[in-house]
Amino acid sequence: MNLIDVYVYEVTRRLPEKLRQDIDLELRAAIEDMLPEQYTEDDVKDALSKLGDPAVLAASYRDQPMYLIGPNVYDAYIWTLKKTIPWAILVTAIVHAVVGIMSFAGDEAILAMVLKAIGNIIANVIMVLMYVLFWITAVFAAIERFAFSKEGFHFSKNNSSWTPDQLKKVDMIPKRKAISRGEVIFSFIWIIFWLMIYFWADDIVGIYQSVEGSGLQFVMPFFNQNTLLSFWPIIVLIAILELGLVVFKWRDRQWTLKLACANTIIHVMSFVVFLVIANTPNLLNPAIIPYMTQTMDTTIGSLTSFLDWIWRFIAVGFAVTIIMEAFDSFRKATKK
Amino acid sequence: MSSLLQSFTTELRRGTLTLAILSQLRTPQYGYSLVQRLEVAGVSIEQSTLYPLLRRLEKQELVTSNWDTTESRPRKYYVLTAYGAEVYEQLKNEWTQMTSELNSLLKGEKDDEFD
Repeated sequence: MNLIDVYVYEVTRRLPEKLRQDIDLELRAAIEDMLPEQYTEDDVKDALSKLGDPAVLAASYRDQPMYLIGPNVYDAYIWTLKKTIPWAILVTAIVHAVVGIMSFAGDEAILAMVLKAIGNIIANVIMVLMYVLFWITAVFAAIERFAFSKEGFHFSKNNSSWTPDQLKKVDMIPKRKAISRGEVIFSFIWIIFWLMIYFWADDIVGIYQSVEGSGLQFVMPFFNQNTLLSFWPIIVLIAILELGLVVFKWRDRQWTLKLACANTIIHVMSFVVFLVIANTPNLLNPAIIPYMTQTMDTTIGSLTSFLDWIWRFIAVGFAVTIIMEAFDSFRKATKK
Repeated sequence: MSSLLQSFTTELRRGTLTLAILSQLRTPQYGYSLVQRLEVAGVSIEQSTLYPLLRRLEKQELVTSNWDTTESRPRKYYVLTAYGAEVYEQLKNEWTQMTSELNSLLKGEKDDEFD
């Protein structure tokens, strides 16, 4: 076996067709130049080891960059990923949560369905993440190779080279006034969560009992769904206001007096709506009190006072949370 | 030599490589003769760096090449183009200026040591 032939083959097979013949000839001449008149295999090995790994040599013949995302587009790439991935996760999770709830047939236990839905959501989020990651990377790798690889061209998200004037557009958000992104995303999820609980309360909120052989079973809803749903216009209104708050918090990224006022007013409105709904007669499923007295082996009187106690506890918790957030937001908004 | 020092040295050398090669291509040279001329002058260059670099210089129109098949084995000769010669002169001036600046910097540092 001729080592020179193999070496040259190992280099040229990695190169574009049109370069092969020329580089083949040049390499052969170069190798032969290094060898003495009468050479042994060891001489050949010496010469070849000076040229080094054929893969590395072939790579240095190629003009294309040996990386996917170069320094020119790296910033824009990372920025795009940061902007896209949280939304991809959020939207996928919400869509699949809604789909999971809509497709609930009613013949399974809620808990089993919830677990299945969570598994489904996680699987879909991972899949969407891979799609997003793949396509963004593919697009930026293409930009790196074809469009913006010219020397001296810097591709930033502003699509122009940097000037000091760009500093005027930057908002410096002081840490002590800032509303964190996590906080805003959390309130968004929180609103969607309670909306879903509200609209599907007759499938979710109720008595569960473990029945032998088939896991947890939904026995009966806790609320009278008709009474509950009679409030839907006001609930939708409150939800829109709360979502509006989320949008403004996301946009402004910091507490201002106006935002703190709006935040407090809307939260107080939510609280009032909660009180009104909680004090509506016929809110509870008429069947629930007799059922619970029976299973818990107690009297109607003590059960109602127990429920009263629970709802007062929730109301106080709700109020305290609102007061604390209002206090905190005004403190942050007025800080110099 | 520590690996850090080694990588700095490699980096320094890489910057001067183009200049060293251009300086030897005023007369036509083939790959191996170029290696030998550089080695005589004390500049060592990996052949695996040289051949791709020559090709790149050709693509940038600083050198041209042609095959000489009259000798016992075919050889590819590279030589500066007019444009290449012009770039070489400018690069040489840059180098002279840079080294004199750097030398005075390094000399100044030495003087400070003895203060």
